[in-house]
Amino acid sequence: MATNHSSRDSLFRTFSIAGSWLWLGLFALLPTVVLLLVAFLDRGEVGFFIPSLTLDNFRELFGPVFLSVLGDSLRLALLSTLVCLLVAYPFAYALAKANPRRRPWLLLLVIIPFWTNSLIRTYALILMIGAQGMVNKLGLALGLIDVPLEILYTDFAVFAGMTYTFLPFMILPLYASMEKLDPSLADAAKDLGAGALRTFWHITLPLTLPGVVAGCILVFLPSLGCFYIPEILGGATNMLLGTFIKNQFLVAKNWPLGAASSSVLTLFLVLLAVLYRFTSRRVAANMPLRASRNEE
Amino acid sequence: MTAFRPVLFALALLLFCGSPLPVLAASPETKEVVVYNWSEYIPQDVLDDFTKETGIKVVYSTFESNEAMYAKVKLLRGRDYDVVVPSTYFVELLREEKLIQPLDLSRISNFSNLDPSLLNQDYDPGNAYSIPYMCGIMGLAYNTKYIKPGTLTSWKDLLNPELKGKIILTDDLRDAFGLALLAQGHSVNSVDPAEIRQASEFLTRLKASVRVFDVTAIKQALISEEVWTGPIWNGDYLVAREENPDLAFLFPKEGGIPWVDSFVLTSGAANVENAYAFINYMLRPEVALRCMEEFKYTSPNLAAVNLLPPDLRQNPILLPGPEERTQAEYIGSIGKALDVYEKYWEQIKTLR
Repeated sequence: MATNHSSRDSLFRTFSIAGSWLWLGLFALLPTVVLLLVAFLDRGEVGFFIPSLTLDNFRELFGPVFLSVLGDSLRLALLSTLVCLLVAYPFAYALAKANPRRRPWLLLLVIIPFWTNSLIRTYALILMIGAQGMVNKLGLALGLIDVPLEILYTDFAVFAGMTYTFLPFMILPLYASMEKLDPSLADAAKDLGAGALRTFWHITLPLTLPGVVAGCILVFLPSLGCFYIPEILGGATNMLLGTFIKNQFLVAKNWPLGAASSSVLTLFLVLLAVLYRFTSRRVAANMPLRASRNEE
Repeated sequence: MTAFRPVLFALALLLFCGSPLPVLAASPETKEVVVYNWSEYIPQDVLDDFTKETGIKVVYSTFESNEAMYAKVKLLRGRDYDVVVPSTYFVELLREEKLIQPLDLSRISNFSNLDPSLLNQDYDPGNAYSIPYMCGIMGLAYNTKYIKPGTLTSWKDLLNPELKGKIILTDDLRDAFGLALLAQGHSVNSVDPAEIRQASEFLTRLKASVRVFDVTAIKQALISEEVWTGPIWNGDYLVAREENPDLAFLFPKEGGIPWVDSFVLTSGAANVENAYAFINYMLRPEVALRCMEEFKYTSPNLAAVNLLPPDLRQNPILLPGPEERTQAEYIGSIGKALDVYEKYWEQIKTLR
């Protein structure tokens, strides 16, 4: 009976792992590898690329055009990530500390926006911040402003749109790591005379670091490559990385350069994944015995 | 070894699934036509009525730019889609690359409804490959609340410092260069490097005044008064004016930029019979009339134009007079010079 059970278990295991391998291999690994290969090819006259090897595409990444695009995108993505973190950390903390009966409802409120397409929510933002949007109408009605503020089609609008769209990606991993937090550790710190700030700095923050890193990755990468928010809310006057890549494929018909520039995104992804592994290992290694036994 | 077992399993599963797939996809004999068209171009009830009458299901998808359409059609090597609706110079390009097939005009009985002055153009002599669906001219729309009528007469007037930050500019490379070339007194199809450079300098100066680049939502920005002026297709302007009566329109003195979008048949079309039925249906006067009334673009269908209510038939923006139409030059294929345009366009777009 027992052996039968375990062999069925291992069959299920093989099947489900094979499924994820298949999925990731077909839809994540294969396209990335193909894209990387295209980045080394030359731009074709009639085709999208021709099979002649070159490093020109990577050389172009060091040209002034791409560097300024990358610089602008990095600045915006870092700023959005930082603001998301500052807003989401206390939010997730309050969520984790909330009454367990109320918690699922609060979580639901974070998740509900996910059920609406983010493109639609981005268009909805126009109704809020446009020249005849709610913010301006309210400001005019209250006499706070005389002429409508120019919010839409500015860098601020792009930043606000990204922060709004990606905030849940920061809240959820933070919440997950805070929920696991053992309250007795904070109690022990208090008993030993640590103040609230000290407890936070030495106990809470280090233990939630994997959540912080995961949340930052989940916000930073999409905001670095996102093209529809800058196009809809920013008016496409400042080109960002996502639009640049999209244009190489659709407008300039320069697939190799598009592939090379998107490999920059892949590079960031790999670097951040390594960082995540590093921090979660460090946290696991430094964790007190009892907490790490719970992890096993 | 056990770690590799799932990987082997995945490969086996892949082989197993890979083989019968194409057979499954090709089997059912459904009556359908796959249409790839600009967004907001054919009313849904027109498509529904076509299906009701013929039993042919319309699989409809849309694009926002000629470039995106071209990339997709080329990627699919002219298969999967049956009917596509490119603009003039893309008809040329698709034909040169053998992605579309010659048409048998004898199978399109309603072809005779079309305005002869729009047929047999340079981009497709004898309409061997394309049947015009809609046409129009890009002119200049402005809001009379902020800009006095008469202030704007030329494309050059967009450089007026009072318009700084109040302009919406088309994100279509050829349209943007087209108006810049016209402003400098050149042909919209110039291949002269010096002229192209002049146009790019004009656009660089203009960019300082541009608040937003767009193609498909130009009318929204004008309606909501986010911007005061910008180039717009005449049909789009007429729709916008219904929502904001302060908007006005003019054809700049250097001329507007005319366009024609045409039905073409892809080289790998799987439903040729149904595609002809669809094109022929769209050319019926009463069908063309419905499309024209909904989206306010000009139909090349003379029989449909004659059915218009008198107030629309006399509208000089919906149906521009001969002077606007003869003055204007279509955007055509420019071959390798397009690379030069693209290079400049990229510089302009990334400029801070």
